[in-house]
Amino acid sequence: MKHSRVAAILTDVHLWVPLVVLALGTALLMALR
Amino acid sequence: MSATTAAAPPRSTISLHKLGVFCGLAAAVWLGSAEAPTKLVSAGFSPFLLSMGMVMGAFVARWTLPTMLKGTEFLYHDLRERPHLIVWALVGGMLWAVANTLTIFGIRSVGLAIAFPLWNTNSLVGLFWGWLFFKELRGSRAKDWLKVIGGAAAIVVGAAVLVIATVQQNAGATGKTGIGILAVLGAGVLWGTMYIPYRKAYLSGMNPLSFVTIFTFGELGTVFTLGCFFYGGVGPLAAELQRARPMLFWPFLGGFCWVIGDLFQQYAAKYVGIGRGIPLSNTNQLLGLAWGALVFGEFSGLSTGGRLTILLGSIIMIAGAISISMAAPPASELENWRAASQRECDRYGLNQEEVTAIVDGDDPATEQKRTRRWWEWLIVASACGIFIWLAAGTRVQPIAVNLPWMIALIAGALVTLGLCGTLLWRRTRFS
Repeated sequence: MKHSRVAAILTDVHLWVPLVVLALGTALLMALR
Repeated sequence: MSATTAAAPPRSTISLHKLGVFCGLAAAVWLGSAEAPTKLVSAGFSPFLLSMGMVMGAFVARWTLPTMLKGTEFLYHDLRERPHLIVWALVGGMLWAVANTLTIFGIRSVGLAIAFPLWNTNSLVGLFWGWLFFKELRGSRAKDWLKVIGGAAAIVVGAAVLVIATVQQNAGATGKTGIGILAVLGAGVLWGTMYIPYRKAYLSGMNPLSFVTIFTFGELGTVFTLGCFFYGGVGPLAAELQRARPMLFWPFLGGFCWVIGDLFQQYAAKYVGIGRGIPLSNTNQLLGLAWGALVFGEFSGLSTGGRLTILLGSIIMIAGAISISMAAPPASELENWRAASQRECDRYGLNQEEVTAIVDGDDPATEQKRTRRWWEWLIVASACGIFIWLAAGTRVQPIAVNLPWMIALIAGALVTLGLCGTLLWRRTRFS
């Protein structure tokens, strides 16, 4: 994958929002177990 | 071994909005039916084992169905054209896996019939992300806003009515009920956010069948990691799976059915957007209620008032979903959808003309002749072999079911699959 494409991925808000929600959801799962 | 696809019949001219609506309804039927095997949780099996069984079944389905429908050559070409979306497909799969595990906690605490409508609030989350990131509803008329926002509000009200009913019916076990509600609402947020990868992929011209083949690695890897964490390693997890072997066929089958519903949902998200398509597919609550009430007898111990409350909440939620689905996007909103697609093309160097054709259901690659590879037959044969192996060692679980109703619901799901699958093929060639 080209460097510019990697940079576009890493700076895309469409990626960071799902990642934050995923982290919070995993934390909830750990708390409920 | 090789074969070439035969000449296809002429294309259907049905509108993409209607097609998306039909896909959403078919998704509802199959997503609703697929959750029934998780009822086995009440028979004393671990939620993680059930989740893992479903995900393993989903993994098999997410490779087998795309291979059967499009072939590995098409899938590889599609992924090579848009490699950045592999990241989003993996993240989407991870979100699905965590959400699915949370729902199994929820089902254990509050029951299938109650858990269903609560996690279906994911449509509200998806609606918000669709508006914020993909310009859904931007440029639409006031009456369309009213239909969509009114529908979304109705879903919230319906969910609230069901929560009240849940608390009343579980008096004396409020701690457990609270955990169950928290788990399924959390799952709703995760699933609602999972639609960001969906919509992004389809506005970029990716085929839903390609998307799910990568998506499944995210979900299987996450569930396996969670399983290892909770059981203390691979060895104990494998031992638990071996112990659960007699019941593993059912969640495996549920995962396979889930993928059929999920594929229809993916096409609904592609052709009518996540703000409209997801609420429509979330009427799977109806099927969840039908399975819970008619097949498993979940309402047998409830008072008439409790049943009416659940029925009222369900009707309000469904009315909201219908209202949203009837708001066909006007030309001014479709311009905003194209702008969102343009953003993806500019950012990732995609061919705008080709992407526009694919988004409109006319992928030029679907018209190209393709050759069946030997490994495609191997993939299908392996999937069949796994199912036969699991079915051969399956014991009847100690759960009472109403057989006539079960047969009727299964037959209805198969008819829906045949009709909607044919329509999708005739209009888009599974584009």
